[in-house]
Amino acid sequence: MRWTSRARFLFLAPAVVWVLAFTVFPLGYSLYIAFLKIENKTEITRERVPMFDKEGNPVMLANGKQRMRTIIHKETKSTTTFEGLKNFRRIFKDPQVGTSVRITLTFILSSVSIELVLGFLLAVLFNRHLAGRAAMRAIMILPIFATPLAAGYLFFTILYEEGGPLGFLGFPFLSNPDWALASVIFVDVWQWTPFCFLVFLAALQSVPDELYEAAVVDGAGGWQLIRMVLLPALQNTIVIVLLLRLAEALKLFDIPFALTGGGPGIATQSYSFLAFRTGIRFFDLGYASALCYGLLITVMIIIMLTFRRLRESYG
Amino acid sequence: MADRAGARLPGQRGFGESLLWLAAVCVTLLFFFPFYWAMSQGLRNPIDTFTVSGLGVPWLSFEPTIDNWVTQLSSPESRRALANSTVVSVSAAVLALALGTPAAYALARFRFRRIPNKDITIWFLSQRVLPPVATVIPFYLVMRALGLLDTQLALILVNATFVLPFAVVILRQTFLDLPLELEEAVLVDGGTYRTAFARVALPLAAPSIAATALISFAFSWNEFLFAITLSSRDSLTIPVHIAGSVDTRGVQFWFMAVRALIAMVPPVLIALLAQRYIVRGLTLGAVKG
Repeated sequence: MRWTSRARFLFLAPAVVWVLAFTVFPLGYSLYIAFLKIENKTEITRERVPMFDKEGNPVMLANGKQRMRTIIHKETKSTTTFEGLKNFRRIFKDPQVGTSVRITLTFILSSVSIELVLGFLLAVLFNRHLAGRAAMRAIMILPIFATPLAAGYLFFTILYEEGGPLGFLGFPFLSNPDWALASVIFVDVWQWTPFCFLVFLAALQSVPDELYEAAVVDGAGGWQLIRMVLLPALQNTIVIVLLLRLAEALKLFDIPFALTGGGPGIATQSYSFLAFRTGIRFFDLGYASALCYGLLITVMIIIMLTFRRLRESYG
Repeated sequence: MADRAGARLPGQRGFGESLLWLAAVCVTLLFFFPFYWAMSQGLRNPIDTFTVSGLGVPWLSFEPTIDNWVTQLSSPESRRALANSTVVSVSAAVLALALGTPAAYALARFRFRRIPNKDITIWFLSQRVLPPVATVIPFYLVMRALGLLDTQLALILVNATFVLPFAVVILRQTFLDLPLELEEAVLVDGGTYRTAFARVALPLAAPSIAATALISFAFSWNEFLFAITLSSRDSLTIPVHIAGSVDTRGVQFWFMAVRALIAMVPPVLIALLAQRYIVRGLTLGAVKG
């Protein structure tokens, strides 16, 4: 990083302008909307107009009057009223918000911890000579890039209670609220454990041989080796994976949309799902924007708390 | 990933090692099972959906048929969705790279004074972790105001925006890893920064740029939240197409399986093509795979 020519601005400007236009501006606009109440009202008015035939002559009725027809005008008017902080206050009174926060937190804590632990153990398992390891590693990549929405529907068929391949277990995978959330976690674990696994495996392979040898010479067994050598060596990687998974898990939307539709009831309605439904399905745009700002502030706090770590890893 | 790391853990030879190998194979098969199940379901006659027991191996458990595939691939809705997804994902990837590559180069090679390069990079990075639902409502309103609802253009703009930070952060790392001397030689010879970038750095970074483009394509292909918000009929992408057909016709497992596979095949193939870059890509360059 040494050049200081003014040319640097020409290189950087397009991307910055783009982000300002398509991310910063929408976020600002969203904050503005959060202070409004936007109501769409469709006004229907009827208008009586005379009828004409193909040649353009007026159509007459038997009584000598002109025949009339009715045109229906539909006009959607959206009215906006400034409401101040009302939308934000509503967040704290809305019982659905509490439920969705609880669901999202449960989801994040369980799925991210399962994925990290399982991914780490798998990485340790695969970090040795295994016949066909390259092929197995390639197969493990597949879930990461499987369209999440499609994965949700696919698991719907797998977890289907009457005749799915796991149906014989007899669990109410999708019809019981707690099981449904567990199922959402299960799909996420299927999709993202391979990510943790791949990253940890890559990191394990860059641990210098001397470290292992020294530990083995000191008589460290399998578990001790993991605790004393591998975990410390992977500390930075673990933090990065944890942060990336946290950020991603906060966005939870596609899987419950497909797998459970947010149900049964609202048992798997994540925070993003709730905001989407409020805004795009029920068209309560002001309140939905306020909800989004709640999430946004959470993410910003996470970024600020981890800013120094991020700067070290990415700066 | 090289196989350079040998037998790392001092496991027992022979029996113990075989057990571990078996465990690894079983884990791999478990993670592959959903794909297998989709293939099995997709090859079944609708009446075989629930009657086939066990693992549902084609030919052994039931007589496979490709009817579901033919129906799905020949339906005009599916084709339009495939075409939309392709156009949107390719354009978004191209657009994001066209904007992102120079920006990444600027952050890797130049020094910004007022705001340090590190902080600009983190600024881009933070957009990658931004919850997309936060911008879905303003995007919807802006696109509605511009009359761009249900157009490919709207989805291209949105997806390019999502992929751009990824491209910037990952390619900056790529350029940082390139030797500086070649580009400096160009400058010493009287070349411009543009020549150094276009003639020297770009060709050297080409494999990484290609991998970034592939991963960007896959991200856009899989995007669902904005696709379902901004499109209603003409610009439906594959994920929205899948979601839509469930609502109207109930659950048709045989079609669902085929549709899920049609959706998954392109991004999954891409992941395999870009295998060497996956770890680097998904950790945004923090871990080298």
